[in-house]
Amino acid sequence: MEILHTFGLETELFLFQIINFLIIAGILAKFLYKPLKNMLEERKRKIAQSLVDADNAKEILENAGQEKKKILSKAKKDADELAAVIKVQIANEKQKAEEQAKERAQQIINDANVRAEVELENVSRQAGKMSVDLSEKILSKVFDQFFTPQDKQQILSRALDALAKGNYEKGSN
Amino acid sequence: MSIAPDILFEVAGFPVTNTVIATLITDLILILIVIFVNKTIALKPQGLQNIVEAGVDYFHGLVSEIAEKKTNFIFPWVMSFFLFIVISNLVAQFPGFESIRFSESPFLRAATSDLNTTLALATVSIIASNALAIKHIGIKEYLKKFISFKMFPIFMFVGILEFANELTKFISFSFRLLGNIYAGERTLGEMYNLLPIGLPLPFMALELMVAIIQALVFAMLTMAFMHILSDKSAH
Repeated sequence: MEILHTFGLETELFLFQIINFLIIAGILAKFLYKPLKNMLEERKRKIAQSLVDADNAKEILENAGQEKKKILSKAKKDADELAAVIKVQIANEKQKAEEQAKERAQQIINDANVRAEVELENVSRQAGKMSVDLSEKILSKVFDQFFTPQDKQQILSRALDALAKGNYEKGSN
Repeated sequence: MSIAPDILFEVAGFPVTNTVIATLITDLILILIVIFVNKTIALKPQGLQNIVEAGVDYFHGLVSEIAEKKTNFIFPWVMSFFLFIVISNLVAQFPGFESIRFSESPFLRAATSDLNTTLALATVSIIASNALAIKHIGIKEYLKKFISFKMFPIFMFVGILEFANELTKFISFSFRLLGNIYAGERTLGEMYNLLPIGLPLPFMALELMVAIIQALVFAMLTMAFMHILSDKSAH
């Protein structure tokens, strides 16, 4: 007991320290560890939830990526099909246009031929008319040069007679 | 300076010693931490909450690794012992401790340099450990550890040794802490007397380490004893 007194051990102080520590431990347990533990658990829960959300988001993103690929692939396929259809249509249109052009060209050629024939006929007719006029002019010039007005009158009279008698051809010969 | 704390004055017959004042300062700091953390607690920790959270999380992880299902009972004790002892020890490193005088006695002295404090802490730790053991393994199994007629007289002798072991825990717990802190205070005091400028610095650094290590040792031993005593396979 003497040694305990040397160390200053006193019942009141010893009990005070026990009670003091129990009170402090109680306060710490209730007002420090509990809220902090709750906070840590809440944070862990939120982190876990965030990880789950992140995984979900990743999965959604992956699905969206796959969906995108699928859509792009489908769009490409559709585009290829459309392109093939358009190619066929263009070929058909081209063929049709070529046929139409050929037909039109043939028609133009035919029209040109018809017009050429008409023109030729007209030209021939005009040429005939011009040759008659020319012959007439030449004749009148020849007449004027080689025949006297009495001869002309005589020839005219004989021609009129021949006409009157109806043997123009005989007389003209 | 004697190893016994100095009685400064009495309040209604209760002797208020310099270690009691230091104990009350420790209490005040702990309560201020509690108030501050409760006021500023947030999902995104800042400042002091970071430090306290890190400590609480570290000790909780440590206890749950060893004690598993008993964590909820053991953790508050372990953490409280650590916080109380570490703050008591660290507060004693502040200027003013030992140097401020009150009726020729130091007004402040480390709470853990008083046997009343260390023995009280040891008593609480040992009683809590044994209470946990009784709660977990039952009173019958608990008593078998001390009183057993199996293979008479071998286990009876083992029981006596176990009882002696429990008693020595009071001494080992209290005197280890008391010895380390009191010796540190004495050493620092002597260094100040020898050469007040410069010389105490390395010893102060050493004392800071001792302050944390001793708190950790007390808390870890409490955890170990609580776990071992309440473990059925150990009986």
